Amino acid sequence: MGRSVIVHENFLRRAAARDFPQGAPPSGPLAPEDAVSIYRAACTSRALDRTSREMQRQGKGFYTIGSSGHEGLAAVALALRPTDMAFLHYRDAAFQIARAGQVPGQTIAYDMLLSFAASSEDPISGGRHKVLGSKALNIPPQTSTIASHLPKAVGAAYAIGAAKKNRPEHAELPDDAIVYCSFGDASANHSTAQGAFNAAGWTAYQNLPLPLLFVCEDNGIGISTKTPTGWIANSFKHRPGLKYFHANGLDIFETYRTAQEAAAYVRTRRKPAFLHLKTIRLYGHAGADMPTTYLPREEVEAEEAHDPLLHMVRQLDQSGALPAAQALEIYNDTADRITRIAAEATTRPHLKTAAEVMAAIIPPPRPCKPTNGPSAEARANAFGSDLKQIDEPQIMSRLINWTLTDLMLTHPEIVMMGEDVGRKGGVYGVTQKLTQRFGQARMIDTLLDEQSILGLAIGMAQNGFIPFPEIQFLAYLHNAEDQLRGEAATLPFFSNGQYSNPMVLRIAGLGYQKGFGGHFHNDNSVAVLRDIPGLILACPSNGADAAKMLRECARLAREEQRLVVFLEPIALYPMRDLHTDKDGLWMQRYPAPDETIPFGEVGQHGDGDDLAIVTFGNGNYLSHQALPAITSSGIKTRIIDTRWLSPLPKDALTAATKGCKHILIVDETRHSGGVAEALMAHFHEASPAKLARLTATDSFIATGPAYAATMPSAASITQAAKELCK
Amino acid sequence: MRKAVLICPGRGTYTKTELGSLARFPDRNLLAHFDARRTALNQETLTALDSAATYSVSKHTRGDNASALIYACTLGDSLALQVVEIVAVTGNSMGWYSALACAGALTPQNGFEVVNTMGTLMQQSLIGGQIIHPFLDENWRPNPARRAELLAIAAEITTRPDHTLTLSIDLGGMLVLAGNEAGLKAFEAAVPPEQGRFPMRLANHAAFHTALQAPVAAQGRAALPETLFQQPQKPLIDGRGQIWWPGSTRKAALYDYTLGHQVTEPYDFTAAIRSAAREFAPDLFIIAGPGTTLGGAVAQSLILSHWQGMASKADFQTRQTANPLLVSMGLPEQRALVT
Repeated sequence: MGRSVIVHENFLRRAAARDFPQGAPPSGPLAPEDAVSIYRAACTSRALDRTSREMQRQGKGFYTIGSSGHEGLAAVALALRPTDMAFLHYRDAAFQIARAGQVPGQTIAYDMLLSFAASSEDPISGGRHKVLGSKALNIPPQTSTIASHLPKAVGAAYAIGAAKKNRPEHAELPDDAIVYCSFGDASANHSTAQGAFNAAGWTAYQNLPLPLLFVCEDNGIGISTKTPTGWIANSFKHRPGLKYFHANGLDIFETYRTAQEAAAYVRTRRKPAFLHLKTIRLYGHAGADMPTTYLPREEVEAEEAHDPLLHMVRQLDQSGALPAAQALEIYNDTADRITRIAAEATTRPHLKTAAEVMAAIIPPPRPCKPTNGPSAEARANAFGSDLKQIDEPQIMSRLINWTLTDLMLTHPEIVMMGEDVGRKGGVYGVTQKLTQRFGQARMIDTLLDEQSILGLAIGMAQNGFIPFPEIQFLAYLHNAEDQLRGEAATLPFFSNGQYSNPMVLRIAGLGYQKGFGGHFHNDNSVAVLRDIPGLILACPSNGADAAKMLRECARLAREEQRLVVFLEPIALYPMRDLHTDKDGLWMQRYPAPDETIPFGEVGQHGDGDDLAIVTFGNGNYLSHQALPAITSSGIKTRIIDTRWLSPLPKDALTAATKGCKHILIVDETRHSGGVAEALMAHFHEASPAKLARLTATDSFIATGPAYAATMPSAASITQAAKELCK
Repeated sequence: MRKAVLICPGRGTYTKTELGSLARFPDRNLLAHFDARRTALNQETLTALDSAATYSVSKHTRGDNASALIYACTLGDSLALQVVEIVAVTGNSMGWYSALACAGALTPQNGFEVVNTMGTLMQQSLIGGQIIHPFLDENWRPNPARRAELLAIAAEITTRPDHTLTLSIDLGGMLVLAGNEAGLKAFEAAVPPEQGRFPMRLANHAAFHTALQAPVAAQGRAALPETLFQQPQKPLIDGRGQIWWPGSTRKAALYDYTLGHQVTEPYDFTAAIRSAAREFAPDLFIIAGPGTTLGGAVAQSLILSHWQGMASKADFQTRQTANPLLVSMGLPEQRALVT
């Protein structure tokens, strides 16, 4: 017999016999009607868990991780407001059900059953995934995360304070809201979680507002691995900036009182708090997990004896809110009701085709108020003395700086965050003067933690800001990459396009810095960014393109809610000359602020049809260096700058190389997993031209004289071109 | 036993064919109590109104008469139900007061006090009027664009000087709009006639469920104390689709909604039916009380809620013929199914 059946039968028997587990008597401010509401939510949550197992047995349900043992979270929901954005632990069905009772017109049981059934009518994910989440309830969708939702909760909390001073057009949270974020005791150990606790404490320690309530649902075990006794309490009692609260989650009166106190602390002090809630886990981790295979049966049964629903019935009876017999009736009525609703929900349609599944990868465009851009006076004030030089050729880093200036002038909801982006103006000076121009509130110097930087961006985007986070070097993205892959990119997918976190992530990267830095400052791998559905990866190769592409990226984020990564080739930031010293051929004038390069448009230099060199970034620069030697050998050549590395602008590339007899792909990223692999595959499918590629080797970048030894050079490009066109 | 959601009808459902309905009221003492209260208030008794030789539009549709008549017919029908288990109660517009009583949140006597008081206050004020117009075609296929269009017309009209016109009731495939005379007239001029009878003014109706009723809501709160209300015995679904559960209903909140939001904000009957279907999955939807006009709105609401895959009038009719989902107690043959 499954544990869910055992727990169910125990409940029926013991509630009828008034055989209740021992526990504290009810006390505190919880009103009797609210206590019954909590119990009703708990019964619904429990019934859904049991029904989900039955649905799976019938082949009609597809998810069985349940909330049994965590039903006390309904009491936490009632201590909050439905406008407090909630990032939920996957065992928080009772929280969502209780919150649904606070917002008129919800059909929570039906909706959650549609989600268990993976029906395309599921109002949150559209049948893509079983998630907890609801637009109406301010619960962004959350599935089986390993605490990867914590950094963005920090960001969303920060965004409440930021919006108070500078409210974005698409802001969602009221000024007095708080953010709620829950997770299990096992995932509290995750480095992502630890980073978020640290970032929250670091922020609050400086008296910056961060109204965030963390709730650790401590059921004492992570699948089969126990949390050491006292670990959570002792880890979190004395964290700087983080106020610790504790309650027994089996006691809804104590939980409600403590959650109210914690929420009041967070709301009035605008500081983060950590509510440690003791819960139990019934039925194991998920449907297929049998706890008795790794725990003594007596231990499992002892835990089951403290079924929170039995504690609730005891306390409701003791408090006079609801006699035990009526509580039992509610339990049975609810179970019957859920069974009936499930019978309907399981008849609803499912997604079938790839196109249907993929329809929400890209969020829908959103209407934005038109803007005429800044006034001449505002521009003059912001640019200051730079304005005198605006018609002179400039290096790329300066043109990016001016572009950012114009964008920030035009769109007050743009904010930047990263290590050293503010006071220092970035490692390479790209964001210099922006703090003076726009203030610290929009130029946020963060702590040294890339997960926190991206979490801040994701969270702020969910309150209407358009974040421009910066990762200082490409190699430093990798420890935080899941914030893009698992969180930012999936949000529209899991929410059927209802939630989005548009941003333009600027990353300084790629190789060729003369003798500086080695691998960590010259990383030349973009593979990790190229297979994320929905993510746009842009890479300019010169200053004018950078300005025009960055404007398009801002538009894509602001109007089309896209997740964009703008990869800036570090070696090209200061590049002035192409062929000879002081020829100044790689500098450009600042393009007029309304000039853009549309998403997917490639660059073309020359129209030779013997050879098309298809490249990007530093490869474009090096190909231009190689061009005289190639053409002097009689090869009529054109150079195509791909510009957009993901998704590849395949049609534009095909059109730009049409009629060319040879195509040489020059790719500064690695041979394995590099951009050239995709380009070769595309041209192989789409072009009759003879193909060759020149890539970096499968190596890390060296420091010192061999800094460029592993990557294409002008000479190797020339050689490869001649060999291909022999 | 089959599970059913009970639906209480609103104003406009007691028509000339309903004369004599109270003859089947199952509790004579209760009806006598209502009559006594009416007499004490110098109002014609329900028995007298119901047994009148002829139906008088000017008399029977007045708020101070129609509300109590409809309430009594509805309550009587709910008391007459057999062979079904009522799992939730809801209503349309004035039917909310009946629903409160049928669900036990008001005693039958207190329900009468609330409905008669509010009906009388509405009649005394008679602020503005209502007009009804469909946004579904005759096949009842969902057409959200047409609904948005009609609301946009109303929104434009209400910006004109001295014009008021806002949504009053989301009534399945129809919108009930309410406003002042200028607003109603402007709407009549703005939309082409449909189905031979729309847009249709509702005689003797005020601009219910709009801000124009704020004075009536205030008078209602002054006349009716919170102590009249109690925990419902059955789940109760309001005009936002919100469910008020037995044991977890705060009486003060229910009072505030009933004599506040419910009076001055749009009533979403479609949402009420959506919640009834999705959260209770009943075997039957039973429309109590006089008249048979609410059936279409219930069926349309179910279609708009994608209930059981129904997407058109034909789908509903097929379902209804195969295994009736909707019972109108105003139709003798359907009434027999549940009494």
